[in-house]
Amino acid sequence: MALILLTICLSETVPDAEGKPHALFAGLQIGGDGAARLEHIGFFGFMFQSLLMVQIVLLSILGVAERYRTNKFLIYMVSALAFMLLIGWQMFSAHLEYLSSNETGYFLGFPNATAWATYGTWLSAIPLVLIYSLGFRKFIYTKEDEKKFNELLAEKASRQE
Amino acid sequence: MEEYRQEIIIGAVIVYMVFCVLTGLWAMRRTHSASDFFIAGRGLGPIVVSLAIFSSTLSGFGFVGGPGLVYSIGVSSFWMVVISSIGYAVCFFLVAKRIRMIAELRDCISLPDIVAARYGSEAVRFMIAVTIVLGVMGYLATQILAMALVMQAILSGTEMFADVGLITCVAISSAVLIFYCVTGGIIASVYTDVVQGTIMIVAGFLILVTAANVFDGGMQEATSIILSDDAETIMPYGAAGIMASLGWFFVFGLGLAGQPHIITKLMMNKNISDNRSMLPLSLFGYAMAALLWISIGIVMRAAVLDGVIEPLALPDDAASVFLSVFTNPFLAGIVFAGLFAAIMSTSDAFLNIGTAALIHDIPKAIKGQSVENELFWARIVTVLLAVLSAGFALYSHFQDATLVAILGAFGWGTFAASIFPVVAVGLNWKGASAAGAVTAIASALLINFVSQLAGYTFPYGVSGQLVAFVSSMVLFIGVSLITRKPVLEPDINRVLDI
Repeated sequence: MALILLTICLSETVPDAEGKPHALFAGLQIGGDGAARLEHIGFFGFMFQSLLMVQIVLLSILGVAERYRTNKFLIYMVSALAFMLLIGWQMFSAHLEYLSSNETGYFLGFPNATAWATYGTWLSAIPLVLIYSLGFRKFIYTKEDEKKFNELLAEKASRQE
Repeated sequence: MEEYRQEIIIGAVIVYMVFCVLTGLWAMRRTHSASDFFIAGRGLGPIVVSLAIFSSTLSGFGFVGGPGLVYSIGVSSFWMVVISSIGYAVCFFLVAKRIRMIAELRDCISLPDIVAARYGSEAVRFMIAVTIVLGVMGYLATQILAMALVMQAILSGTEMFADVGLITCVAISSAVLIFYCVTGGIIASVYTDVVQGTIMIVAGFLILVTAANVFDGGMQEATSIILSDDAETIMPYGAAGIMASLGWFFVFGLGLAGQPHIITKLMMNKNISDNRSMLPLSLFGYAMAALLWISIGIVMRAAVLDGVIEPLALPDDAASVFLSVFTNPFLAGIVFAGLFAAIMSTSDAFLNIGTAALIHDIPKAIKGQSVENELFWARIVTVLLAVLSAGFALYSHFQDATLVAILGAFGWGTFAASIFPVVAVGLNWKGASAAGAVTAIASALLINFVSQLAGYTFPYGVSGQLVAFVSSMVLFIGVSLITRKPVLEPDINRVLDI
């Protein structure tokens, strides 16, 4: 990801890639030519976004003790990652589609690409939330873990006496 | 009813502030030790902690700056909000269980206590404590200033208080904040957070309903108006572009697990197994309250473009103008109380961790022990810290605005870059070394400070905060790998195995 960031910073720039002031209204910014803004870095941007999602799932796996990283758990996590990547791709491709056609449908108040970004991104982590909450006693903090921790506390208490 | 709008709003704010004072008095009876003052004696239930976590996450920035950002740059700023589900999930996976276990095992009362126990290093404790103090000063000053400016705006709408000064407003709002924080410590803070969080959820939902009815065609008409003016603004990456948006995804998504005022709350629950319900509860609360951020900004931009209202003098006026133009006085009263709630719930959390860093962690890192009679000094330093921050806010407002801006840089992004690797990764990777932690914190502070002072901007909207975060992660892992494998103390080693 650091390399992608470096590549983006060294890529050919386009005018107003980070927006410009609105011609009529002070305080408003506009994005302008969307296709031009993505011309040199669109692919790298999407790669960065995808790798960020991979990193999020890998970090979540790191938070689970090694002995609980069973095949079943890893299947859940890979499925969660696939769901996140699918939503990311739907958003990115819907954006590209709009840029080429200038037409869009709407979903719950937003243009399709933005609906994917807004509702989709929010929902994309729900599988992780479910794995954590519903799998808490299987993967995160089992009865056995609780017993081990209570033993640690008991040892500490006996040392202090 | 419309003619009494200001009175209704002031009434709602006064009721809320009286509640805070009463909570402080009630909590004072339950505060007997420094542990009670800083982490509520690790005796809180899951609903209380969940509401405290999310209401500390959504500061006054969420109520004032958030809608202003959507008004100004469109969907770009959504990326600070919609990634909250990812942020909370990562935070619970990486931090919640182990921080709570180490807190109980080592009787830790602050985040620097946790890192000192994990790395067996007073240098890491010192670096984290200094980072927290720097961040707290900037955050508190901006929160107190925001609170005073909103109070002045409300009071100036009445005949009786039309000429009220900013200093008076700073004094009133700080006095309430100081009172309940000093008397009741973190117990008062978390119980006010419960009400503050509830107000924010109600306000967020009611604002969404109101915003959806401003245009006959609902939210779709509002977004269509924006689309026809400039499509990029309402497309997924907004006016600021793809890398600015993804930078916020990175810094706000992963960075949530590096916010000291949020993760300190994860040390306060009574049972570790409460974590399973705290994650969805915190997320639900935040999602509901954040509806306000998105809906006000979109509707206000569309309303200006469509000529429904005059252009705003400042983007940050979006929320207050929306409330005065589109809502009935009672809803405005609830939302203004919610705004004070958002500011105060974040401020009290910062006061608490800042005080702990000053009287507990920095002395411990330097002298090997914290100050005697911690509870007494905690109360004194809480007052001093709040007064200093209030003075700092006023000085900045009237004399030199750059000071708060510079320390403001030590906000979310710096906490994320310096604390996330050390805490979130370090609590789950035995190979993480003290040298890696010190390097990561130093690089995060340096890059954020230099990019802020020099005003350096990267191409395509890549932010200094993102560069700092990625750099600190790379350095943390790299330095840990090349330095000698750390020898963990036996109890910490066993905790990291659980």
